[in-house]
Amino acid sequence: MPEITDVENEFIREEIEEYLEQPNEIERAINTFSQISSAMQEIAAALIDGDHHTVDQLTSTALEEGTDALEIMDDGLIAGMSIVGIKFRENFIFVPEVLACARAMKAGMAYIEPILSASGIEPVGTVVMGTVKGDLHDIGKNLCIMMLRGAGFVVHDLSVDTSEDEFIDAVEEYDADLLGMSALLTTTMPNMGKTIEAFIDADLRDDVKIMVGGAPVTQEFADDMGADGYGKDAVECVELSKRLLAEDDEEF
Amino acid sequence: MGLDDDSKFITIGENIHTTRVVRRKGKLVNERSNGDEAVRYLDVNKKRRYLVIPEKIKQTQDYQEGRVKHITIAIQSAMSGQGSEADEGMKYLCSLAHRQINAGADFLDLNVDEISVKPEEQQTAMQWIVQTIQSISTVPLSIDSSGIDTLKVGLETSSNHQGRVLLNSASLERLDALDLVRQHDTQVIVTAAGEAGMPQNSDERVANASQIVENALAKGISIGDIFIDPLVFPISVDAEFGNHCLDAIRVLRQRYGNEINITGGFSNVSFGLPSRRLINDVFINLAVDAGADSGIIDPVTSKIQNVLNIDQGSRPYQLAKEMLLGSDLYCKNFLRAYRKGELQMQKQVKGEE
Repeated sequence: MPEITDVENEFIREEIEEYLEQPNEIERAINTFSQISSAMQEIAAALIDGDHHTVDQLTSTALEEGTDALEIMDDGLIAGMSIVGIKFRENFIFVPEVLACARAMKAGMAYIEPILSASGIEPVGTVVMGTVKGDLHDIGKNLCIMMLRGAGFVVHDLSVDTSEDEFIDAVEEYDADLLGMSALLTTTMPNMGKTIEAFIDADLRDDVKIMVGGAPVTQEFADDMGADGYGKDAVECVELSKRLLAEDDEEF
Repeated sequence: MGLDDDSKFITIGENIHTTRVVRRKGKLVNERSNGDEAVRYLDVNKKRRYLVIPEKIKQTQDYQEGRVKHITIAIQSAMSGQGSEADEGMKYLCSLAHRQINAGADFLDLNVDEISVKPEEQQTAMQWIVQTIQSISTVPLSIDSSGIDTLKVGLETSSNHQGRVLLNSASLERLDALDLVRQHDTQVIVTAAGEAGMPQNSDERVANASQIVENALAKGISIGDIFIDPLVFPISVDAEFGNHCLDAIRVLRQRYGNEINITGGFSNVSFGLPSRRLINDVFINLAVDAGADSGIIDPVTSKIQNVLNIDQGSRPYQLAKEMLLGSDLYCKNFLRAYRKGELQMQKQVKGEE
């Protein structure tokens, strides 16, 4: 089994030693980073550092040198972002720093996305996001959208005060894999449940995974209203999206 | 601009709010000798007491993730109406009210929205909390809910006995709240929320706020009874969010003169960042300089006299100010200083300038 000393990049070694605490996460990180090329480790390090100029430059160079776009996305960008997610979850870093990392991710994805789509590779997933009817709050939802786009998802933003029909129409129109609903008020939160019921009535519930979030929302409410998942912040939203898509793949 | 010598900052105490949490790992949550886990507090006689965390709360996700919703616990315990638990909940709420009043609160804001998702239960809780706090408070209440029916119940239960009540809040998406203001002869917070969405910049704040103010004036509400909330968004999300709010305050003060009140939920600005108290206090200063004369704040931690006497030349103040005025992208300098331990404010010695 690889050891921490097998991770070549010093910055990443230090990140793992300093910020990762759970044995399974340490093991996974060491496994990942000991197996990827030094160029990809550098991209991941720049991303963790929130340095979008360097990510931009390194991604461009790697592509010129013939590195596969998928490899850059998985081994450089996504691997780096996984460390960022853990640091945020454990309160080592704060919202603006996560946003800086998302911007760095986006700088890399700007090169990767056109190449992937030109070669017929589908985006990671398509998500429809919106704040529910009667609710005008959108800061948390917008953070989720930034993070999802950074992670390679195509996101259609329905903005605020979104009716059941608007959610249904958008999921239909964009053939979305995922629907994310947000609410900040206890008075509007029940509209998530109503929207889920509208999907059942329209016989579309099985065609889309539904996730919910927002300050008053909890896992318990999410379960009660029949959502497929709940995320407590933007970083969890991305992890949840990936997990729901993976479940989707297993089912078909 | 700033406050004139004879004008007073109006503090709307925000602490009786069901969303409030204390950290399970923090100093205030203790395990008792009998194994109970409890929130420590001082009652109105400064005697140390313990609000026990009920088993039901321990099942919730908030608790399991380390957050104790202490106000919710106190209200639920007190509302259950029996035994020592109810008594403790009641004492806890009384203590919260007293501490805010002693710290200079001019209103006590009451929000019970998160007590339940059921509107009937929110309304029952609102009725109960209004009766309870009103019977012990020496200052008027501020009735706060996102549900118009809950606001209505709150106003119907309250009286203007300790001074006129404040309704929190009306906006373009909720104009009918202005009728409640007339009906119950209250004062009102009007927010800069638009009919179809939150304002994206200072111009939209000014436009929305002006429109709701005009609506209020047209309904016969007097200008001195209006508190404008320009809406405060977190600086962690966008470096310009501080300026959006401050610029709107400047224009609105200019437009409506000295009679109108300008307030705001200033602690929102620090969401997603460490050293929240410093950021909040600096932002309150910036808002007052821009023309605000009120705040929906925690009067106990941000006691307004101390806030306004803060050392503006200190490095922590300057770092927070630069960040709040949009010149510290991604809060980089501020967070670097935080990690180096450079954000501690020197305690001001009494009597020293």
